[in-house]
Amino acid sequence: MPEIFSSLATGFTTALAPINLLCGFIGCLLGTAIGVLPGIGPALTIALLLPITAKVDPTGALIMFAGIYYGAQFGGSTTSILLNTPGESASMVTALEGNSMARNGRAGPALATAAIGSFVAGTIATVLLTLFAPVIANAALKFGPAEYFAILVLAFTTVSTVLGSSTLRGLASLGLGLAIGLIGLDSLSGVARYTWGVPELIDGIEVVLVAVGLFAVGEALYGVLYQGEETGSRHRLTSVWMTRADWKRSIPAWLRGTLIGFPFGSIPAGGAEIPTFLSYSTERRLSKHPEEFAANKGEGAIEGVAGPEAANNASATGSLVPLLTLGIPTSATAAILLAAFQNYNLQPGPLLFQTSGELVWALVASLYIGNTILLILNLPLVGIWVKLLRIPRPYLNAGILVFATIGVYGMRQSSFDLLLMLAIGWLGVLMRRLDFPIAPVIVGMLLGPMAEKQLRNALSISQGDWLVFVTQPISASLLALTLLVLIAPPLLHARGIRLQEHD
Amino acid sequence: MPAQLAVGASLVLMSAVLAVGASRFPAEKGFTVLGAHVYPYAVAVFLGIVGVSISLQAAGLRSPADVSDGITGAIPGGKAGALWVTAGLTICALLIAHIGFVLAAALLFACSAQGFGSRHPARNLAIGIALALPVYWLFTIGLGVSLPPLVNAWI
Repeated sequence: MPEIFSSLATGFTTALAPINLLCGFIGCLLGTAIGVLPGIGPALTIALLLPITAKVDPTGALIMFAGIYYGAQFGGSTTSILLNTPGESASMVTALEGNSMARNGRAGPALATAAIGSFVAGTIATVLLTLFAPVIANAALKFGPAEYFAILVLAFTTVSTVLGSSTLRGLASLGLGLAIGLIGLDSLSGVARYTWGVPELIDGIEVVLVAVGLFAVGEALYGVLYQGEETGSRHRLTSVWMTRADWKRSIPAWLRGTLIGFPFGSIPAGGAEIPTFLSYSTERRLSKHPEEFAANKGEGAIEGVAGPEAANNASATGSLVPLLTLGIPTSATAAILLAAFQNYNLQPGPLLFQTSGELVWALVASLYIGNTILLILNLPLVGIWVKLLRIPRPYLNAGILVFATIGVYGMRQSSFDLLLMLAIGWLGVLMRRLDFPIAPVIVGMLLGPMAEKQLRNALSISQGDWLVFVTQPISASLLALTLLVLIAPPLLHARGIRLQEHD
Repeated sequence: MPAQLAVGASLVLMSAVLAVGASRFPAEKGFTVLGAHVYPYAVAVFLGIVGVSISLQAAGLRSPADVSDGITGAIPGGKAGALWVTAGLTICALLIAHIGFVLAAALLFACSAQGFGSRHPARNLAIGIALALPVYWLFTIGLGVSLPPLVNAWI
């Protein structure tokens, strides 16, 4: 324990160095701006900024990326509340409840509870990260390929079963991701798989390309085809102060939201929608004022904003746990962060804590600082963020596509990549239209090859003995957990308990 | 529901493609216990099962609730808009290496803006250039990303 505190203290001194502080500040600012703007998210932004890894030292760059990650959530909640335009799907609940409050003249308290709740949740979640990460990293030092394979199998099941509208669709998306991950040169045997003579496919398809294609291009095309004119209305910003009653109702909601969000963030559950929806329905069920909830045709209950916002932020921090300790990304943004680490030849995982401990702790310290910066930044600057949305939508979307082109072309200078990005964008439109979740595709693409590698290594070491997965204790318990995850939802379902947001 | 049936069928098709492809991989294993074909087969089987299940679900049950974002009203672009955006991206992809980033991006911007509902092509092209130029400087000179120039390093 004491080493944790001393490491964290050292981390703070690094994170508070002027250059790193500046990077964090820029990250938070940029993150909030893109969180406000619809169509562009933290994953795409970080992907676009990956080239700075060639110029900026790792600590600064990673601190900036983390700032973008968090800032985006703050920005998203601001527009959800004031303009009913959620910047990302996880802000949908905030839009529902918060905008109700805004329409009834309570925009200020809604914003305040979102900002303060995010700060509280982020800080608590970072404390949890601080305490758990070294423990997990230490335990993971004992992990061999068999254990990693078991974790990845567990990850596959959580992605597909704890998901939005249908387990089967989640599995289909996962399968698609796995298939895409197969394309390319097999590292162990040198066989070119599924390249069909196209030279650009020999190295496989880049995650950034798929992410940009699905999220940026797909969103843009979907917006053109299916969405009508914006009907968001502006709301005057009233006093931002919360009443005592507001505080009394918000604080428990924040704590519950954090406790829901953090665990869900650390497993590949396909995005932050689950914890936010779960938090919303929990608050609805536990509230002493259920009639106020917008879903019940009320004027907007403050817990309905406080809980989900906290859950959102906690889940973002939670996703850093498996990334830093095991090197397993559990969200698209985490995946791009992994790419950033790799650009510096750093491999996140248990060894990272040993070899680059200062970097990791500086990053963790910057999370605390970033949360504080965001809290201070957001409430006074709300007016400015809202003005950003005055940019006409056609230009905004066209600009996003230009940036997407830069991001993808800048990687390999390949026109083929751009055309592929377009094709993937159309795939994204199809998937959204047919209600197939997108996040499992990215997870499948990344984790599929990892799983294959670990499977083969495990079998090499055990000389072809498949029983190694059940004879090693850690691996066996992880596989048992996988079974549990698979059979629990149908069992709970049979008892009338549902884990999904459709009631 | 026909769309879902089509999805199920295409998944099965994909599974078949994967399996056929895997059967063609050279089987020599070298030092590895698992050859290059095992995992693809596994993925193919997985996809096949999922595809069949989805098809069965589509054929058997009622159609799932229609996906609606809750936003209705006039579609600014519709199909024509999507075509403009696609055209813009295609043009940019094909021409970027020939006419340089700035012009290609400006064309992309103009076509996309057209697709999204803006009806001032000349103005959009101008805005596109005005946007692409500083962005080009930022990314090439500032961040060192390699984007194709038209004439020299500055444009």
